[in-house]
Amino acid sequence: MTPRERVLAAINHEEPDRVPVVIGVSNATGIKMKPYRGIKELIGVKAPDDYIYDWPELGTALIDEDTMRRLHSDVRGVLDLEPETVRQWNKERDPHSDYVDSWGSGQTEIGPDDWYPNVHPLPDATTPADLDAYDDWPDMSDPTRVAHVREAASRLAKENQYAILATPWLLFPFERAHAMQGMDVFLLNMIEHPDFARVLLQRIGDYCKQLMGYFLQELGDNVDIIKIGDDLGTQKSLMISPRMYRNFLKPVHADLIGFIKERTSAKVFFHSDGDVVPLIEDFIEIGVDILNPIQTSAGSMSDLPALKKRFGNNIAFCGGIDTDRVLPLGSVDDVRQEVKRVMQTLGPGGGYMVGAVHTVMNDVPPENVLAMVDAVEEFGHYPLGS
Amino acid sequence: MTINDELWDAIVFAERGLVLKIVQAAVDNDEDLVELLNNTMIPALREVGDQFSAGEVFVPEMLASAKAMQAAIDIVGPLLAKTGHKPIAKVCIGSVRGDLHDIGKNLVAIMLRGSGFEVDDLGVNCRVDDFEAAVQRGAEVVCLSALLSTTRDAMRPVADHFRDRDEVKVVVGGAVITQEFADVIGADGFGFDASDAIRAVRECLGLAGTPA
Repeated sequence: MTPRERVLAAINHEEPDRVPVVIGVSNATGIKMKPYRGIKELIGVKAPDDYIYDWPELGTALIDEDTMRRLHSDVRGVLDLEPETVRQWNKERDPHSDYVDSWGSGQTEIGPDDWYPNVHPLPDATTPADLDAYDDWPDMSDPTRVAHVREAASRLAKENQYAILATPWLLFPFERAHAMQGMDVFLLNMIEHPDFARVLLQRIGDYCKQLMGYFLQELGDNVDIIKIGDDLGTQKSLMISPRMYRNFLKPVHADLIGFIKERTSAKVFFHSDGDVVPLIEDFIEIGVDILNPIQTSAGSMSDLPALKKRFGNNIAFCGGIDTDRVLPLGSVDDVRQEVKRVMQTLGPGGGYMVGAVHTVMNDVPPENVLAMVDAVEEFGHYPLGS
Repeated sequence: MTINDELWDAIVFAERGLVLKIVQAAVDNDEDLVELLNNTMIPALREVGDQFSAGEVFVPEMLASAKAMQAAIDIVGPLLAKTGHKPIAKVCIGSVRGDLHDIGKNLVAIMLRGSGFEVDDLGVNCRVDDFEAAVQRGAEVVCLSALLSTTRDAMRPVADHFRDRDEVKVVVGGAVITQEFADVIGADGFGFDASDAIRAVRECLGLAGTPA
């Protein structure tokens, strides 16, 4: 089985030869620069320290092909880029000043290689007129965003080895609203100015569809999985009530997913951190095929047997390897045992792909990343033991 | 004990304009503001905190109630200070070095103020020196907040710094913080969420977790 066939079988709820590995293809499935350097050193790979999205302040490494193979990654990524003018402006700015993206939101430096989303261009907006008055809405038609996409995707498709997981940056309406206003400001606006909050989400959703349209046009048929999402959970439960989700956000997500499915047969991969168990039925209803990252440290998300039993026939899972405790603090053997446990719980019948819960952060020892992927080779071949 | 039901509901349902109107009327009518604070405002916000802990309300509702409470405290606080009403104790609070998240930290600060504490809010990205300076200004409890697994370790040097000083208590909280982590770094208290943080602060000062 090729890696691509392995992935396609798993997401079609069939058992492949082994559980697929998803690592190194986007931010949420990615590896920060420090552990990436450590991995390269451990395995003796000499490759440059490049960043995904050509974006050093994000801090997530562009993983070289030798390392991707050593990590047994069964997917390869295709990403978009910020417009050339925005990339150039950020390259030329004072290196310690704020990074600003094409929406006018951005990050502030808080330490070496450490940037925090802290630039919010619309903190005081409370009416649709305030949104109309904003001059810096992104131009999604800028061709330099997607100029490389066609070639990158068709090369991967021609090789026909790896599943293609494509991720335009942050087409996540809720998180984008936080970026535009500040999280606390937007969450308060959902209570105090609900009509405005809906209009903002809708407007963001429209921009997301515009970029998605250009991106999908360039991908053509050369894509297996499209990644979108929105962080909706907390460590203990949801950030907003299920009712508020259904009222404000679900229509926007449904619209975006419908737009994608009208244009491609690729599966929709939805990333949402935290405990989102009360929303999984909603995700299934609006067409999500794969749920990520299965944050096992968060509330009822820890009950993997229940997740598999309740939802496993209707949605595939990707992630599940804990980044709160096991990967950063556990021993190599702790990691092996956890990977084995999660695969044996979520893997039967297919429908599961191994991945770290969100980005492999700077506190994770490189040995543990190798232990995670090697445990898949060791314990992840079907039929899975118990 | 008199409870102002209208004000209670206005805090629980985050009707900030109504909260301000009722509190201002109480001031104008020369009502007992200590009683209003202790019997209505604090327990009302605690009810929201309890609903949040129980998963009955979520972050936006909690933020909105806290904002309404803060607006009321902004009116009542200076008047109480003028009449010589003493806070329970002075505490400081900050998100630790490397962490710029402040929603949870701000909620705890508002609930502490509402619960009768004087709060020295140090903001975000705070270093050991910032907490030490606040202790020098009179803080008896140092409250540390961290949202990220990558920043929680910045709590250790603060806990180490105050370890041998019995008169200074360290309370920790934030999304990724657990009782186990608090024990490992030697913190005096751990708040599971904003409401629970008030209990932790009270307990480490030798007060009952929930005021009578």
